[in-house]
Amino acid sequence: MELSELLQFAVAGLKNGSVYALVALGFTIVFASTGVINFAQGEFYMLGGMLSVFALQALGFPLVLAVVAGVLATTAIGVVFELLAIRPRKDGDPLALIIITVGGSILLQSLTRHALGPDELPFPAFTPGPSILVAGAAIERQTLWMWALTAAAVVALTVLYRRTAFGKAMRACAIDRDGARLMGVDTRMMVTASFGLAAMLGALAGIATTPLTQTAFNVGARVGLKGFAAAILGGLGNPVGAVIGGLLLGLIESLSVAFLSSTYKDVIALVVLLLVLFVRPQGILGRREREKV
Amino acid sequence: MRRPAVRLMSYGIPVLLVMVAPLLVEDRFVLKVLTFVGINALVVVGLALLFGYAGQVSLGHAGFVGLGAYTSAYATVRLGWPWLGGMAAAALVASLGGLLLALPSLRLRGHYLAMATLGFGEIMFIAFVEAESLTGGVDGFTGIQFASVAGFDFRTPAQNYWLVWGVTLLAAAVAYNIVRLRPGRAMRALHGSELGARACGVDIVRLKVQVFVLSAALAGLAGALYAHLVGFISPSIFTLHFSVILLAMTVLGGTNSIAGPVVAASLLTLLPYVDAVLPGVPESVASFLSDWETDIYGLAIIVVMLFAPGGVAGLLRRAGVRRTRVEKGREAA
Amino acid sequence: MRMRLGVVCVAVASLVVAGISGCAADGENGAGSAEEPIKIGAILSETGSYAGLGESEINAIQLEVDAINEAGGVNGREIQVIIEDDGTDEARAVAAATKLIDQDEVVAILGATGTGQTMAVRNEVRRAGIPLVSMAGGSVITDDFDPLVFQTPWPNRLVVPYILDVMAEQGWTEVALITDAGGYGKDGRDVILGAVDEAGATIVADETFNPGDTDMSAQLTKIRAAEPDAILMWTAGSEAVTIAKNRVQLGIDMPLVGGPGIARREFAEGAGGDAEGVILAAGKILLPETYGEDTEAYQVVTDFIGRYEERFGEQPDIFAGHAYDALHLTVEALKRLPAEFTSEALRDEIEATEGFVGMDGTFTFSADDHNGLTEDDLFTYRISGGDWVALDE
Repeated sequence: MELSELLQFAVAGLKNGSVYALVALGFTIVFASTGVINFAQGEFYMLGGMLSVFALQALGFPLVLAVVAGVLATTAIGVVFELLAIRPRKDGDPLALIIITVGGSILLQSLTRHALGPDELPFPAFTPGPSILVAGAAIERQTLWMWALTAAAVVALTVLYRRTAFGKAMRACAIDRDGARLMGVDTRMMVTASFGLAAMLGALAGIATTPLTQTAFNVGARVGLKGFAAAILGGLGNPVGAVIGGLLLGLIESLSVAFLSSTYKDVIALVVLLLVLFVRPQGILGRREREKV
Repeated sequence: MRRPAVRLMSYGIPVLLVMVAPLLVEDRFVLKVLTFVGINALVVVGLALLFGYAGQVSLGHAGFVGLGAYTSAYATVRLGWPWLGGMAAAALVASLGGLLLALPSLRLRGHYLAMATLGFGEIMFIAFVEAESLTGGVDGFTGIQFASVAGFDFRTPAQNYWLVWGVTLLAAAVAYNIVRLRPGRAMRALHGSELGARACGVDIVRLKVQVFVLSAALAGLAGALYAHLVGFISPSIFTLHFSVILLAMTVLGGTNSIAGPVVAASLLTLLPYVDAVLPGVPESVASFLSDWETDIYGLAIIVVMLFAPGGVAGLLRRAGVRRTRVEKGREAA
Repeated sequence: MRMRLGVVCVAVASLVVAGISGCAADGENGAGSAEEPIKIGAILSETGSYAGLGESEINAIQLEVDAINEAGGVNGREIQVIIEDDGTDEARAVAAATKLIDQDEVVAILGATGTGQTMAVRNEVRRAGIPLVSMAGGSVITDDFDPLVFQTPWPNRLVVPYILDVMAEQGWTEVALITDAGGYGKDGRDVILGAVDEAGATIVADETFNPGDTDMSAQLTKIRAAEPDAILMWTAGSEAVTIAKNRVQLGIDMPLVGGPGIARREFAEGAGGDAEGVILAAGKILLPETYGEDTEAYQVVTDFIGRYEERFGEQPDIFAGHAYDALHLTVEALKRLPAEFTSEALRDEIEATEGFVGMDGTFTFSADDHNGLTEDDLFTYRISGGDWVALDE
């Protein structure tokens, strides 16, 4: 296989991987602060695309504004969802909340279909133009945008977590919720913030991909599943793990097409995931959970 | 403690109502829907044991349902086995699948176990699609005959209703008895604290595997019943979405209860058919419900989880329907 | 405890016995009194992944039902089409069929939108003995032959040899395949693999993708390495847009060819400039002029297009056409029957259809052909400037 071909496969893998990474980040942030697997994360991805298209086509916003509007609107939906459906559950039982997010996912998807129709919708590339050639491999301009957005998200999150009081409060909440509350952290607001942040990340991934894949009311489920798998692969609760897990999953898929068969791409990714889990149950970067007696 | 007669009535009456339904319901379609309810309920009985009592999460049970369905279909249609043979094969193969999954997954806890079961479910789905010679692939498996015992075919909706609900009620009764005995207490101990359970001498490895395999077997049986009921199966029935809904039914049903999840499963299965099942619903209402049924479904899940924290079982308990000695003891403590 | 289990067992046993000892026998599917409307059922994907297709079909049916009833219905009786949503899900399709048959007592069922759902419903329809006229394009629907089942779109079995011949004429004999792993794509792939030899073509690459996949550049990179003359794509979903875009982005200049699955405005719009030059085979409804402006077909097609556009504000797509045909074929058969008829008679009459001019072409069924279309009903298009033109233009 030529170098340019190999590079092309790597580009494809890292492109998908960055989408998975952003979605996985969303899963991991919510999990870290609540212990909940947010089944509606895929719908945030979908809403990012759908609402941006709506802003562009129905409201006539210019492109940049449409993207911003779509992402912000989805963030707002994430926050509202938390306030209405998560917070009222006083005991915070993770499994019950997981089921609530399942209901939320069904509801969000269906409401979107009612509001915006069942058809797939396009969105123009952020910057039009042909692909960039690097050592024989073609990289779409939109892919560069996706990588840039993912990198920006990671940097922003790192700054948030390490440099700001708010971010430190979120980390405290993730490590020990009761302890954090004792230290004066408003844990309820941290939960709301996590959902908002997760929605924002999902929406970014969604609108960044839409120029390449179009969007529709039902695109959330598959990406959500992949993002979840990536988060597990990297170690649930660890943001760096989420990004690594996402990129790795994308590469595994792409390389299985390259060297094995496109038919079994999904199986191979799943098998790898399961193998990692059986060998190292906490994921690549996860910490071994020590059971408290 | 309640008198045995009262306890008998609180179970006996619902059971009797369930069994008598076909004599009261004329509409063939409604009977068929109620039969689908029975099939979901059967899977949920197993999940209630696995999750509600033993606290193990499975996001892949649709895989076991599919395994049972395809096994029975293959055995009866391609191998010419009698229906009972197909049923037995279905339960066996599903159990084996459960065993194969449970053994390596034992070390996994919580969300990682969920992911492993999810992965299993997805792999099963892909297997159903790719193993065309066995399953018919994407096109599905057609021509599955009705259930039949010693020459008697279960053809009418009422006959199939009784067949399915007979099996489901039997499974529920068996599960109920398991729960009362030592395995049940062991399961609850497992749910509470694995370390603690081990310290009390519970062989948690064996217990986890047993519960998992049992729930897989019940799911396989349900799948086989479905296959013979409808006559056609295809991979797109046995999806992650189905597994998630099954889990949702179980969680909505509440923990430490068999009846709760069964009732929750019944209600959730019936929800999309409300307009068809309730007589005398005006056309406009029926079409509104049908249009918004998915939204209502999602909303219902959220609302129940928010306003009935103990799930359906909690509601039943508050209504005083169901109290066991153990629960009364715990409440007193 | 033991008593409770015992009660359950006794209850189970006694009622199983009661059940065995008989229930009401099945009634025959009556055609209703001469005053009531004739009820036809339709199972369509209003929600789920085929929702876009289903929406067009629902529109077409509603439009045509009104038109038919205004024109006097079936021999003076109105028709009523009861539409059930299958959510692009087999199990729900079966439940919908059960409801239509048992509760609504329809005389025939139109649908489903998708191949998988159609196959699922076949069993129910067989048990009830009523005809099923499908709008899905999978060959298996009529390959796995059932006397009750008819199909209106151009089946893969018909389109594939046609398109392979077109490709051969262009000198493209080394073909790379990219198909989706869902029912329609898989069916297409099977037919293609079976037809290549006769067409004198060879498959140099055979890639697949899953419905919902967001990037096919890995598959296309493999295809490029195989150096085909042309790429043949078989899918009906939005992934086709992704493939078209990936191809341009990767700088692949081999021509891209597809089937009726991409004969949708959403493909041309979604892919924009990247759809330029894509070749596809479909029926003549896309360019009614190809019928010849003095033919009955031209009149019928342009009339429908006009009325559809007037009511729904957009042009009908091929799926609206499939639904139109399914409904009218059934209604025409009903018109040829007396007021009281059996399911067998309706089935026979549909099968006796000869020269019916519809959206997909001219239908003539027979005892072993439940598709009724020929290659004459197909045409080769090229996408140019976001619209369909004839290939040689």
